[in-house]
Order: sequence, then structure tokens, then C-alpha cells
Amino acid sequence: MLKLPQIYAENINRWLPELLWFALTTLKIALAAFVLAVLVGLAFALLRTSRFAVLRVLATAYIEIARGLPIVVLLYIVYFVPPQLFPGLNWQWFTGFTGAVVGLGLHGGAILAEVFRAGIEALHKGQREAAMSLGMTPTQSMAYIILPQATRIVLPPVANYAIGLLKDTSLCSLIGVNEIMNDAKSIAFADYQPMAVFVLVAAIYFVMSYPLSLAVRVLERRLNVSR
Amino acid sequence: MTFWQFLHAKGWYLLSTLIGGWPQTAIVALGSLVFALIFGLAVALLRLSPWRVLSWLAVAYIEFFRGTPALVQLFVIYFGMPDIGLSPTPLEAAIVGLGLNGAAYLAEIYRAGIESIHRGQLEAALSLGMTPLKAMQHIVLPQALRTMLPPITSFAIVLLKDTAIVFSVGVVEIMALARNLVTETLHSAAVYLIAGTIYLCMTIPMARLAARLERQRQAWH
Repeated sequence: MLKLPQIYAENINRWLPELLWFALTTLKIALAAFVLAVLVGLAFALLRTSRFAVLRVLATAYIEIARGLPIVVLLYIVYFVPPQLFPGLNWQWFTGFTGAVVGLGLHGGAILAEVFRAGIEALHKGQREAAMSLGMTPTQSMAYIILPQATRIVLPPVANYAIGLLKDTSLCSLIGVNEIMNDAKSIAFADYQPMAVFVLVAAIYFVMSYPLSLAVRVLERRLNVSR
Repeated sequence: MTFWQFLHAKGWYLLSTLIGGWPQTAIVALGSLVFALIFGLAVALLRLSPWRVLSWLAVAYIEFFRGTPALVQLFVIYFGMPDIGLSPTPLEAAIVGLGLNGAAYLAEIYRAGIESIHRGQLEAALSLGMTPLKAMQHIVLPQALRTMLPPITSFAIVLLKDTAIVFSVGVVEIMALARNLVTETLHSAAVYLIAGTIYLCMTIPMARLAARLERQRQAWH
């Protein structure tokens, strides 16, 4: 019978600091990928609502492909394909970490593009026209009328995406990025304690993601009340 | 050999080899979908149960499985279970792992669906002498199904995409074969792009279907 408490008592001093150190890498990947996803998402939401059909088709194609691919497959494509297609270029800088951020960011960009588009389309055109007819400049109407309302619609799904992203960073271990999951594998197999180590890692992920999901729930309730 | 030359010479070989992994992908996806559909319903009913202990247990289950990555859950099951005397095969670990994970998400879909049916329906069924489970089975769930079908379809797409991680516990599905092919041919570009295309051929039509179901549902209201 596996005595987890005893195993943890003996090993936690070695395991926990190391795992938490690599959890920092996980957080760094998540944060960088989140920023990239917001930028890519905004760009493609605008392209998707563009006046030019070509741009709309391109944006739709990107969104469908990036959302239709499993994240692991997208990570493999982003990390392994470009260096092979363009072997003449210098790929020294393209580390696993960069590949992970770009891959997750491109996937998130497609998800957020749809979220942002829904946010933009939910607002009636009249809002902006009313603001302008009251004498606001376009910038003012954006800052005081459009954005505050759009934020309210967009914030909960964006926060939910962020929680999913935090968990999805675990997939970066599969392209060899040294984050918490990869480190857990090496500890688990070196110490012959897979159950204890992976349960501990699950607990660490839970501690990182659960406060976020509680915050999202509070946020959703607040935004609903004030509407 | 450039990318295009290689694709021309070996494209069919890559494609046919990768499609050879499709049955395993389909078995994992369907197996875990059925597992999650059944187990998720049980979790949802516990969650709505009037007994505090049961509903609290269901909440703990849902929060834990939604709060941790599926990959970690798979590793606990495949690499961890032997520590307590169970040794699942890769396929069993994949189906149970993705199934347990999916049940947590489906439980919330079921709950939302059940709660969307007016309480009066349940009360009327109970006052006719049905037991709570009979009332669920014959009155509430059939009506809730209309609301639940679009999110369940979206869930099935997510599940299908999640099967791409089960090579990490040794299931020989599309991604596992892709990795083998890269070791064999050293042409990662062609292999992963073809693998990606195979996934897209499955997920994009499913996404279309989900969107259509959602439009139909909205038309009903």
C-alpha cells in the first residue's frame, strides 16, 4: 500500500522548491502567451470585421485553422516546421520557450478574436453615433462609451481563456520546454515515485488556477448585477 | 531534399501511415466520450442532490478535474496507478483519463441544461407520483437535451482534440505515428502539416455542425 503522507514527509523538502521554481517558468509562458494572444486576437477581430473581403476571408481561415487544430499539434507545427522550411535562416534564438509562447499565443489569438468580435458586434452602432452627436471626439467616445461597455462583455470569457491557458502550458513539456510538468517527469522517474509526484503537481496547478476561477465567478456576478 | 520534393516523393506514404493511427484516435475519442457522458450525468445528479455531502463531493470532483491539466491527470492514472497496484494499459489510461476529465465539464453542461427546465415540470412529475429519478428520465432530461446538444457537440470537439496528447502515455494514435515518422524521415515539416490537416478534416465539419445546432436552438426560443 502506498503511504503518501510518509512519502511526502520524506521528500517534500527536495521536491517542492524545485517544482515551484519550474512553476515560475509555467507562469512566464502563460503570461507571455496571454499578451501575444490578446494582440493577435485584437488584430484578427479587426480583420474579421474589415471592409475588405480578402482580409475577412484570411482572418476567418486563420481562426478556423488555429481553433481546429489540437494545441499539441499546433505547438509541434510552430516549433518544428519553420526551421525545416527555411533552413538558411538563423534559428538559434527559437528556443522551446519561444516556440511554446508563439504556439499558445497563436491558438489563443484565434479564440480571443472570436471573443472580441462578439464584444464589438454586441454594441449597437448607435452608441458611437450618439456619443459623437453629443460632441465627443472619436477617441473620447471610444474611451468613455464603447470600451467600458465592450470590456464588460469581453472580460469574463477572456478570464476563462486565461485559466485554460494556464493549464494548457503543461503541453509545452511535450516539445521539451523545461516547465513544471517536464521537471515533474524527471523527478518522478528518477525517484520512482510517479503517483506522489504527479499528485503533488496536480495540487500545484490547482493552487494556481482555482483562485483565478473564483475571481472569474465574482467578476461575472458583479458585471451581471450592474447591467 | 526540399520540402516540396519530399512531399511529392513521400506524401502518400506519410498520409497513409498517419491515417493508420486514426482508428486509435477514434477509439480513444469515442470511448472517453461515452465514459464522460455517463459518468458526467451521475456527477451532475449528485451535484443537484438535496444531500449536502453528496453535492459537496460532486463540486469537489468538478473543481479538481477542471482545475488541473488533463495531461497531469493522464500521468497520475498511467504512471501513478501502478504504485497502488493497478496497471492500466495505455488505451485504458487514455479513455479513463480523458473520460474522468470530460465528466467534470459535462456535469456542468448537464446541470445548466437541467436548471434551464422550469421547476414546475419536476414538481408536476413528482405530484403525479413519479420518483425523482423517473421524473428526471422521462420529463426533465428529454426537454433539457435540446439546450444541451450544442454545448455537448462543442465538448466532443474539444475531446477529439485532446486525444492528441494521449501519445504521451503510449497510445499509438495519429500523433504517436507522426513522431515515429519524423524520427524515420527527419522531415518534421511535411509530417506535422499532414497530421494537422487530418485533425482539421475532423474538427472543422464538427464545428460547423455545432454552429448549426446552436442556431437551431436559438430559433426554437
